[in-house]
Amino acid sequence: MSEPQGKRMSTNVVDLRPAAAAQQRSKELTSAIGMMVALGSWTMMFGALFFVFLALRDQAISWPPPGLELPMVLPTVNTVVIVVSSFTLAHALKQLRGGEHRASLRWMLTTFVLGLAFVVLQIVLWRDMWNDGITTSTGTLGTVVYGLTGLHALHVAAGVVVLGYLVAVARRRSSDVPNRQQHVISLRLCGMFWHFVDVVWILMFLGMFVT
Amino acid sequence: MSEGVMSKADIEAAQHLQHAHEEPTDFVNRYLFSVDHKYIAKQFLWAGLVFLLFGGVLAMLIRWQWAFPAQPVPVVGNALFPDTGGIITPPAYNTIFTMHGLIMVFWAITPIMIGCFGNYCIPLMIGARDMAFPKLNLLSFWVFLVSQLVVAASFFVELGSAAAGWTTYPPLSSNVGTPGLGQSLVVLALFLIGVSSITGAINYVTTVIRLRAPGMTWFRMPATVWGLWLTSILNALFVPVLGSAGLMLLFDRHFGTQFFVTGAAGGIGDPILFQHLFWIFGHPEVYILILPIWGFLIDFTSFFARKPAYWYRGSLYAMICVTVLSAVVYGHHMFVTGMSPLLGQAFMLLTLTISVPAEILFLNWLHTMWKGSIRMTVPMMFALGAIFVFGLGGLTGIYLGTISTDLYLHDTMWVVGHFHLTMASAAFIGSFGALYFWFPKMYGKQMNTMLSKVHFWFTTAGLTLVFCGQLIAGYAGQQRRLYDPFQYAYIENLHGLNQWTSYFAFMLGIGQLAFIINFFYSVFAGKKAEKNPWGVGTLEWTHCDSPPIHHNFDTIPVVLRGPHEYNHPEVLEKLDRDWIGQCEPWPGDEAEQAPAGREPEAVPAE
Repeated sequence: MSEPQGKRMSTNVVDLRPAAAAQQRSKELTSAIGMMVALGSWTMMFGALFFVFLALRDQAISWPPPGLELPMVLPTVNTVVIVVSSFTLAHALKQLRGGEHRASLRWMLTTFVLGLAFVVLQIVLWRDMWNDGITTSTGTLGTVVYGLTGLHALHVAAGVVVLGYLVAVARRRSSDVPNRQQHVISLRLCGMFWHFVDVVWILMFLGMFVT
Repeated sequence: MSEGVMSKADIEAAQHLQHAHEEPTDFVNRYLFSVDHKYIAKQFLWAGLVFLLFGGVLAMLIRWQWAFPAQPVPVVGNALFPDTGGIITPPAYNTIFTMHGLIMVFWAITPIMIGCFGNYCIPLMIGARDMAFPKLNLLSFWVFLVSQLVVAASFFVELGSAAAGWTTYPPLSSNVGTPGLGQSLVVLALFLIGVSSITGAINYVTTVIRLRAPGMTWFRMPATVWGLWLTSILNALFVPVLGSAGLMLLFDRHFGTQFFVTGAAGGIGDPILFQHLFWIFGHPEVYILILPIWGFLIDFTSFFARKPAYWYRGSLYAMICVTVLSAVVYGHHMFVTGMSPLLGQAFMLLTLTISVPAEILFLNWLHTMWKGSIRMTVPMMFALGAIFVFGLGGLTGIYLGTISTDLYLHDTMWVVGHFHLTMASAAFIGSFGALYFWFPKMYGKQMNTMLSKVHFWFTTAGLTLVFCGQLIAGYAGQQRRLYDPFQYAYIENLHGLNQWTSYFAFMLGIGQLAFIINFFYSVFAGKKAEKNPWGVGTLEWTHCDSPPIHHNFDTIPVVLRGPHEYNHPEVLEKLDRDWIGQCEPWPGDEAEQAPAGREPEAVPAE
């Protein structure tokens, strides 16, 4: 990840930019490493859930149980929604790094709406499934579908809340340099988390609804 | 890794990258919601010590029950069990042994060893002004405190606290096996302590990677930091697995899912899956609880034998090796669950393999002390005690790692004796050694040596006798967790042994008074400690006052050598002392400015 380097300033002014940029890179790297460790933890958490899901599915006599069918349309739509949201968020970060504050804000808002849409569609999906007779205690299927998608949706919701907060901060349009740099870091960390949750959903979609 | 040579620019950059924050003066920011790692360490210490006492009282109650089954508990009996005139009832007994285990592992040892010493030692020993994420550190402590409050609350709900054993296996821990809110609260508290451990681990891992002072290369870091760092990696990766298992258990208990419900209860889940998840976490957990101690031991044996640590890199590689292997041996807890014999043998092989790096560490400790000028200071006595009990525990573990003997010993008191010697006694003695070692730095006060030694003998002798008594009882066939073991004809004759073991346990308990008196007296009225009372060369002793200032260092130190430079002939001759600090210019080099980072002539680490 390369930091945009400002143009060389005139020589008779003390150029503080390289030092500030180095400090910014250092701060960003530290936060990113912390986030990677955190994502390692989350990977293990979802890994444990998948372990249980796969083991229970393996032990089930038939999957899905006879007479029950998992919906396909809504999960597919949701997959598209969350994948697109990852791209829009990546774009927002790119714009912010390029100094395009307004554009970045637009893309962040788009992502926020997409994230919110995912959570809403997920609630609709649960309602539909419940009406079709798949409840939390309908054997293994209900247990793992509600358990896993529920925990995942909570993480998406958390991401949406954080992003909403960042949008609110960005709207204040602070031109103060340290604040802007802090904003780049926050958005990058939020992005890392967002992409992670996206990948988890894709795996869940493939493992639970498609196959 | 570029050893030694640093550019002036690097060193200056390091000074700039870490700001020295102003010390807060208002009560809330200074004492309640402090973000200072040193203060958070003390918060963890006090919170941990309170629960250590709590867990210890529960242990005494268990021992009372095994010595005098169904007889009224003296002194505290009427207060604790008023309905039965002081007699421990079977349900109360279940709660007592369950909560003894959980409290000791999660709310006593973890905060003292990792929360306190992790927070205190890591930044000071690597030359950082604070943790990488101070606010996350604050969060870690407060989540921990909430989890302690939830545990405490669980004792006061209807049907009492958790009672399904510390392992919390379903179906025993399901709604059917252990009804009531208490069990759920404890599982929730486990989830919260998990969050606290993970946020702490994120901080420790990142801090060590990013905030080492200039010249503090990986192999110049004290072993203490290595142990805590590896522990944090395991914490970050494996505590979430317990978190997942706990969540699923809560879902089963409250939302009608059936992850672990099966059989007569009508579900089609699988309770064995919980055991898998529990031990995928649980086996790394025992290394989480011992790796910091290994780090202390490598450092202390060197510090107090006044010799460089023998084959320091070898010890560090051995610890890394154990960290990796610890993730793939968990199946040895489940030999009797009907797992495939082939899988069982694979786990047995991996389990026994882990004893090789452990052996390297052990030999390195011994070799470090070999022909050293050993100083029998209090921390050194505790280090030797920890090595002794860890050795006993390690040897008895071989019988449990081997399938053929495990089939006989499984679920007996042998298992209890074994894991108490390794992860409980070694962690307990090692943590107290660390507390006696860093106390002068933390509080700027000295502890009373006489009382410390009394505490050492009661503790080490007590722990050894108690758990060796349990090993013998287990070898003779006594099952663990029995309410009244002597109802069974084949255990009846072990009553005398159990009584003696209990007497030793009570001595152990009484001996802790020496610590309590010593600790309180020293914190509030101890004599002022010197800057470097032990004469060691790591940064917290050579570059900080006792206690350190708010931002630790006025200037970030420039590290020139490893942590174990003792009895170097040139230093002896020129400085007239047997140690040299990690950031101290080599005698004769003072004129030359530090950045050159000259290595000493003989590198004694090999």
